[in-house]
Amino acid sequence: MASREVRARLRGLRWRPIGRATPALDDLDLTIGAGERIGLVGPSGAGKSTVLHALAGVLGEALPGELSGTVHVDGAVGLVLQDPGAAVVAGRIGRDVAFGPENAGLPRDEIWRRTRHALDRVGLRYPLERPTSALSGGELHRLALAGALARAPGLLLLDEPTAMLDPEAAAEVRAAVVGAIDGTDTALVVVDHHVGPWLEHLDRVVVLGPGGRIMHEVSPGALHDGAAAGPRDELTRAGVWLPGVPPPAPLDVPASLVVPDAAGPEVAVDGLVVDLTTRGLRGRTSTRALAGVDARLPAGRLTAVTGPSGAGKSALVAALAGHLRPAAGGVRGAPSRDARSRELARACGWVPQHPEHGLLALRVRDEVELTGRRLGVPVDVEAVLGLLRLDHLVDAHPFRLSGGEQRRLALAAALAHRPGLVLLDEPTVGQDRRTWAAVAGWATAAARHGATVAASTHDADLVALADHRVRLGRDPLGSDRATSPGGVVTA
Amino acid sequence: MTGTTGVVGALGRVNSLVLVTLGLLGLVASLGVRDLASAGVALGACLAFGLLLLPRGTGPAARFLAVVVAVASVAWSTWLLGGHDPTVAAVAGMRIAVLALPGVALAPLVDPSGLADQLGQRLRLPARFVVGVAAALQRFERLGEVWEQASRARRSRGVGPGRGPVGRSRHAASVTFAVLAATLRDATAMSVAMDARGFAAAHARTWAEPAPWTRTDTAVLALGAVAAALPYAVLVVR
Ligand SMILES: Nc1ncnc2c1ncn2[C@@H]1O[C@H](COP(=O)(O)OP(=O)(O)OP(=O)(O)O)[C@@H](O)[C@H]1O
Ligand SMILES: [Mg+2]
Repeated sequence: MASREVRARLRGLRWRPIGRATPALDDLDLTIGAGERIGLVGPSGAGKSTVLHALAGVLGEALPGELSGTVHVDGAVGLVLQDPGAAVVAGRIGRDVAFGPENAGLPRDEIWRRTRHALDRVGLRYPLERPTSALSGGELHRLALAGALARAPGLLLLDEPTAMLDPEAAAEVRAAVVGAIDGTDTALVVVDHHVGPWLEHLDRVVVLGPGGRIMHEVSPGALHDGAAAGPRDELTRAGVWLPGVPPPAPLDVPASLVVPDAAGPEVAVDGLVVDLTTRGLRGRTSTRALAGVDARLPAGRLTAVTGPSGAGKSALVAALAGHLRPAAGGVRGAPSRDARSRELARACGWVPQHPEHGLLALRVRDEVELTGRRLGVPVDVEAVLGLLRLDHLVDAHPFRLSGGEQRRLALAAALAHRPGLVLLDEPTVGQDRRTWAAVAGWATAAARHGATVAASTHDADLVALADHRVRLGRDPLGSDRATSPGGVVTA
Repeated sequence: MTGTTGVVGALGRVNSLVLVTLGLLGLVASLGVRDLASAGVALGACLAFGLLLLPRGTGPAARFLAVVVAVASVAWSTWLLGGHDPTVAAVAGMRIAVLALPGVALAPLVDPSGLADQLGQRLRLPARFVVGVAAALQRFERLGEVWEQASRARRSRGVGPGRGPVGRSRHAASVTFAVLAATLRDATAMSVAMDARGFAAAHARTWAEPAPWTRTDTAVLALGAVAAALPYAVLVVR
């Protein structure tokens, strides 16, 4: 291929975040050509997000640490973070997308031309006045993408843009990305543990190894299902998910880490109706999250809770965890909204969908010990952290972890005291093959040793491991869920 | 601006800078409250202003309960500490009402972006500060949600509220701390997102929308200033 114009170049990049003994990136060289599309993969904690932060120029400014080497980027950069909710800067979608052009000092009519164009390219066809709080998860991703595109970036950086989405919404976001940069010379770097669906759109796949060094650079053609085994095997060993490679076997987690004091409860959900209320400055809004759900969670089994986004999976899990008061119907076998904190903790471990919401301590070690100490249950911190591949992080701050690390820590924190009822909200998001095997192993082992385990998930590999299923449906008419009940099927 | 004249509900049509200024005028007026007469006039003006100009159904009604609680507790403690003088207690309570009512009543009407437009374009405050204020207000909307998440996590992990009022207030304190920590964490994520959209390097920032100023704005602001001056007028006249 003829050498193209260089769009961005990292040279000898080294980054040691504040409070860490070892660098997250070390002696990293990466050159990105104009219009080139790169997939960046590698194990959880390898430094993929950090590479994107370096290219976006936010290392050292917003994120403190020690930086050496050079970063050179031609033109504007658009970065879409994994959690798009954290990136919303305005109350209305038009004004949010306009933020980049405003910073560029563009005249007013050009700001709005770019804003409309960007929203159009991602297929978000709402009035510019629509509140940003009235968007679904997939729509928020598209809003963030529009915000990045409105800067007319020469380089677009996406950090796991589809990890939290159901397959339908993920396909929409991918189509929006590809549609937006097709026929332009915008370069793309996309981080995704599941690189398969991106392959046909990529020019190169870069594999980051542990320790923040580039291990391989592969052509996407060599990674398709049916291509020669060589590079596919190598990447699979590095923990990268590839199309057509079966998932790893779940880790055989020792009984001593998961076996509950007493057998898990038989949980029965009958006609459960739950309304979610949010209070803000502008008043109270109430939405019906569950409208008459019937389900069983048998003890000693792993139940997969599935359904499209917005079907109420997280609401059901939070209700089982004793955090929501039923408007009608009820739950037997799980703690109620009135249960005392200690009894609740003893009975049930809950891993919320956003792991950072479940973390309370200032050190990884304290986080894992906290609940056990409170309840007088001994916890083998070393074994738990070793199993989840967090042993090198015992003294790190829980908020200063990679996305995948933080999710595994939330799991350890909620379950280390071996509760009989285990409730997991999207536990495998953002995991490489090896850490996936640890998380999936924990869930299956807990069930095998008598706990009642439920996981809300859109991960087909985890669903395949489940021996019981609950599927939540969206209202078949697609009308406002607040007024019409969602259908529910239990299998 | 025609068709939207008329006095009733005018506060729903004024810009956010006027709203914030009216809130501050509450402070000015409260400093002029010295005796029962000035207190009565100030509070009366305040209530008349609100009943006449505040659009119906603005924000949660429960927020006024917070004012009632504040007024009652200040009046009560003044009565206890101030030699059981009912007049002194009443004046102290009414002063708090005059101070807090405008801000509490108007807060739900403030639009963060609109306020930023006014602060940046009309008052020419530095863009960095202005955008920071707007982002903070934007986040403030979500404080209730963050609180809910933090208390759920604590409860699930066995460190939730204990029995009795002491246990509960200790829990409230620890959740407050957790909310602060979460706010700091979100602020980091937010500044990464803003800098990645060119905020750090913005030299000559422009504004997507103008900062309009209408006759209604002028009229309401003038009315507010007059109302805030009333307690001082009472003091002078007597
Ligand atoms: N804010 C931070 N402060 C200090 N260290 C951090 C911070 N964020 C991440 N790290 C550490 O830097 C290393 C690389 O993290 P990074 O987030 O880049 O990983 P990643 O490859 O994106 O992982 P994942 O796939 O789990 O998201 C990890 O060891 C992580 O613990
Ligand atoms: Mg990451």
